[in-house]
Amino acid sequence: MKATLKLIAIGISMSLLVSCEQEYIPPASADGPKYVVEGYIEAGQDPTPTYVLLTRSFDFYGEFGPDQFTESFVHDADVRVSDGSIEVALQEICLFDLDPAIREQVAEQFGLNADSLSVDFCVYLDLLNQLQPQSGKTYDLRILVEGDTITASTIIPMAVPLDSLMFEPPPGEPNDSLARLTCYISDPAGVKNFYRYFGSTNGGQLETGFSSVEEDLFFDGKSFGFQLFNPATDNGDVDPEEFGLYFVGDTMTLKWCTIDEANFDFWNTLEFARANQGPFSSYTRLQSNVTGALGIWGGYNVNYYTLVVAY
Amino acid sequence: MTLKPFFIDHMQTITLRTLLAGLWCLFLMEANAQAKYTISGYVKDNETGETLIGANVFLEKDATTGTVTNTYGFFSITLPEGPQRIVVSYLGYQTYVEDLDLHANANLNIQLIQGIAMEEVVIAAKAEEEDDNVQSTSMGRVTIPVEQLKVLPALLGEVDILKTIQLLPGVSSAGEGSAGFYVRGGGADQNLVLLDEAVVYNSGHFLGFFSVFNSDAIKNTTLIKGGIPAVYGGRLSSVLDIQMKEGNNQEFQGEGGIGLISSRLTLEGPIVKNKSSFLISGRRTYGFDLAQPFVRQTDFAGTNYFFYDLNAKMNYQFSQNDRVYLSGYFGRDVLTFAQPGRDFQFTLPYGNATATLRWNHLFNDKLFFNLSAIYNDYQFKAGFEQEEFKFDIFSGVRDYTAKFDFDYFPSNNHQVKTGLHATHHRLTPNIIRGNAGDTEFENTAEAKYAHEYAVYLQDDWKINPWIRVNLGLRATLFQQTGPYTSGIDGQVYDGGEIVKTYNSLEPRMFVTTTLNPNTSLKAGITSTTQYLHLVSNSSSTLPADVWVPSSELVKPQRGWQYAAGYFQNIRKNAFEASIEVYYKSLKDQIDYRESYVDNSVDQVENEFVFGDGRAYGTEFFIRKNTGALNGWIGYTLSRTDRTFPDIENGRTYPTTYDRTHDLSVVANYRLTDKLTAGLVFVYATGKAFTPPERVYLIEGELQTDYGPRNSRRLEPYHRMDVSLTWVPNPASQKAFRSEWVFSIYNVYNRKNTFFIYTDYETDLQSGTADVNAYKVSIFPILPSVTWNFKFK
Repeated sequence: MKATLKLIAIGISMSLLVSCEQEYIPPASADGPKYVVEGYIEAGQDPTPTYVLLTRSFDFYGEFGPDQFTESFVHDADVRVSDGSIEVALQEICLFDLDPAIREQVAEQFGLNADSLSVDFCVYLDLLNQLQPQSGKTYDLRILVEGDTITASTIIPMAVPLDSLMFEPPPGEPNDSLARLTCYISDPAGVKNFYRYFGSTNGGQLETGFSSVEEDLFFDGKSFGFQLFNPATDNGDVDPEEFGLYFVGDTMTLKWCTIDEANFDFWNTLEFARANQGPFSSYTRLQSNVTGALGIWGGYNVNYYTLVVAY
Repeated sequence: MTLKPFFIDHMQTITLRTLLAGLWCLFLMEANAQAKYTISGYVKDNETGETLIGANVFLEKDATTGTVTNTYGFFSITLPEGPQRIVVSYLGYQTYVEDLDLHANANLNIQLIQGIAMEEVVIAAKAEEEDDNVQSTSMGRVTIPVEQLKVLPALLGEVDILKTIQLLPGVSSAGEGSAGFYVRGGGADQNLVLLDEAVVYNSGHFLGFFSVFNSDAIKNTTLIKGGIPAVYGGRLSSVLDIQMKEGNNQEFQGEGGIGLISSRLTLEGPIVKNKSSFLISGRRTYGFDLAQPFVRQTDFAGTNYFFYDLNAKMNYQFSQNDRVYLSGYFGRDVLTFAQPGRDFQFTLPYGNATATLRWNHLFNDKLFFNLSAIYNDYQFKAGFEQEEFKFDIFSGVRDYTAKFDFDYFPSNNHQVKTGLHATHHRLTPNIIRGNAGDTEFENTAEAKYAHEYAVYLQDDWKINPWIRVNLGLRATLFQQTGPYTSGIDGQVYDGGEIVKTYNSLEPRMFVTTTLNPNTSLKAGITSTTQYLHLVSNSSSTLPADVWVPSSELVKPQRGWQYAAGYFQNIRKNAFEASIEVYYKSLKDQIDYRESYVDNSVDQVENEFVFGDGRAYGTEFFIRKNTGALNGWIGYTLSRTDRTFPDIENGRTYPTTYDRTHDLSVVANYRLTDKLTAGLVFVYATGKAFTPPERVYLIEGELQTDYGPRNSRRLEPYHRMDVSLTWVPNPASQKAFRSEWVFSIYNVYNRKNTFFIYTDYETDLQSGTADVNAYKVSIFPILPSVTWNFKFK
């Protein structure tokens, strides 16, 4: 009887779940590539210097190799950032043009290893930190390139630091090698607040998980504790039991940011578009705050927290 | 001013005037000095006592003098004094003939016998002159007998009325295997789906792969995709009117079936013979239940999914003039996902409940009255729980409706329907409640309330033997009421206080010109208004999609449909054929804004954008009703598009359900008394979709830049299904009889694309990337077997 039941169960499951997958090659775009802006301006704790990556998009069906990535960087653009009182022209630097020591430093900022880098990575940078970004200010980006104008604007909101954070045993069955991170925050009442976080383990690259942004529509003005997933476990190789959890003994760094609404909308649509790919899904266009290009010009107010995973 | 809007506005004004003039004529009905008497009564199945809807009752010597039974099987026909021979016919039943000598009004309850008798050939030759397909004013209206459904191939053996109607011209499927449907370019929410008059707000189980309608409990299904009579309202595009069986009032019987997905059991019988009967019918899936012993040994113990339906109905005939019907439906999908090792549980219960109480009363032999009190409720809930964190989302619709409907048969040339409908709506948007320990969270969403009223008058009027018109007018009033806080100016409204009022006059006019007894030309204009809306961000509507009312933020959707058709019956009604053309204009259509993300925390109306739509097409239909081989071929050539100022700067784009070509072939062939073969073939232009055109780097990962909305097509969809029904002992008189239905879905294993997804792997360090898109098809060749049984 058991064998029969098993056969029936397997048969039904197979019938329902069997599916066929074939590669799909979409038609070529008639309009050619678009400009892509990825720029950030930070205030707060240990802010990263203001920078802008200016690239071109790739055709979906095109080739992807070191040469194509290198060629995607747009050079000799006039990239300026203004806070209303001062305007700073960002300086273009390409990694292959730099002295090895400086190249290594800059590459590290982008999570790259200068020694084995195959792409000549170029960035427009506020090298001397002339902007001195501050919370509450609006920063306008204007790019003149090959006769085109690209503009964007972002606000660096006020900081809302975490009240505290602590590691606790994981939910469910006891497992003393894993931990969950609980953070406590007091969300300011009466103002819309938007948050984004990054995490890194043992001094590695800061990264984001499947859901890195949140708005306070739900918890405006409340003080409460919430869990933050470990971004490093957000990939298919991780055991489902470990998903979102931290490993006891590691050193974890959390970059906690407040962002403006446009910045939130961009990341929210990006993460929704990435996750929402299924049988019933519709497409989602990323909601950019950049005019004349794809991408994001984002202001961050940053706080860092580093602690050893233990409880 | 452009020519087209002027033309349409002008046409609408003319239509309204013509209609009002026509209705006025209703009161100037012809006087006739000759004595006439009325015969009225019910037409029923002789074995079960089930009333028969749409049966023809007419004079043998003059088939144009006739009528059809209404939704309750009632008819009324007025004839001259003296001897008259009356014929009663209904598809699949022996034709009934009765000689009457009329000298007074008479009551006549007719019992038809299932099956075709030898003398049928003779009667049919005479009966050909009265055929609803050709002579009635109805357009775009198809009735599908449930028995015909049961011998067609079905996905995994689950007989499904919603999938069968997708095989009709003008009706397209929401996707592979889906029970969702679109009619003549209308949206998924623009179909009025009624079960014993109760609105069914979500007609799908298992993400829409199966419908909630258990075929064993259904008596009759009518789809109206074009000329919607004034008695119906509230949706723009179509009416799917489903009546449940009443229950056998002659003897107790049962039927059921065991299939791969679910099992069914229906019991029915008399409570008081000839006066009262009951029916109770249930269906439940069990695939995951069978797998539970194995699931319990995994990390996901406690995970399960099932759905079930329960239909119940009873009726009582208090007198010849008074009958009461009480019917109800309750169905649920229940998904539980558990991960005990992480103390995590996700539950997803959702479903419909309906209840209908009806009182039929005959004031006299010409005036039939029905009072209905209807309750319907659709609830969706998703709950997440992990230790001290809990999070629930609720949404739903609850209606209380009262309907007063009169059928008046003043003469054979007029059949008048009038009535008043009133509904109280409560629509619950996504309300979120949660807590993390002692801290509680909730969003600001609150239930919305509305009243909807409709009054209608329609007359099906035979002007002469060649021209027949159906004139109707439906007036509607919709009021959004409090408690409500305005999203525009912050004004607070108390419970019952009116927030916003909309109204509408909806003329309906259909004309039939009979060229000869077998041929007619028909034309019709239908105006419809829709006050409740379901907007989906998915490729198909899903249970979590939220119904919203018209409000200060959302206008009612409005539609006009113009249709014309040529109808012909061939070879003594053995074949019905028609060609219909239609043009549909849709105003104040609703969609989500571009870049909408379903965060479920905001007022969903703030995410809407509004635009217009249109649909036009030609439908070809030929159906063979008799003989060993029967079935139909339907073909539609059509176009459906939308224009929203806030989507791609007003570029007109096709809808995802736009199908240039749509062909269906449906056939049953009775091989022997024991074996019946069934075949379904469908072909449709590929679904429109929005293609990925570019990729670009953000945070070192590739993102997608999409091309224009719905600017590309998937490859054409086609599929063939076959079935074989085997009745081991067709002549058996035993109390217990059974049959086997063997079905193969997608017999030549066509890989129809269900969806496309992209997959990127980027490594900036080495400057490499894999950019891929994949087409996924879900249902390969799928054999199934179902065992059906009946017992007395």
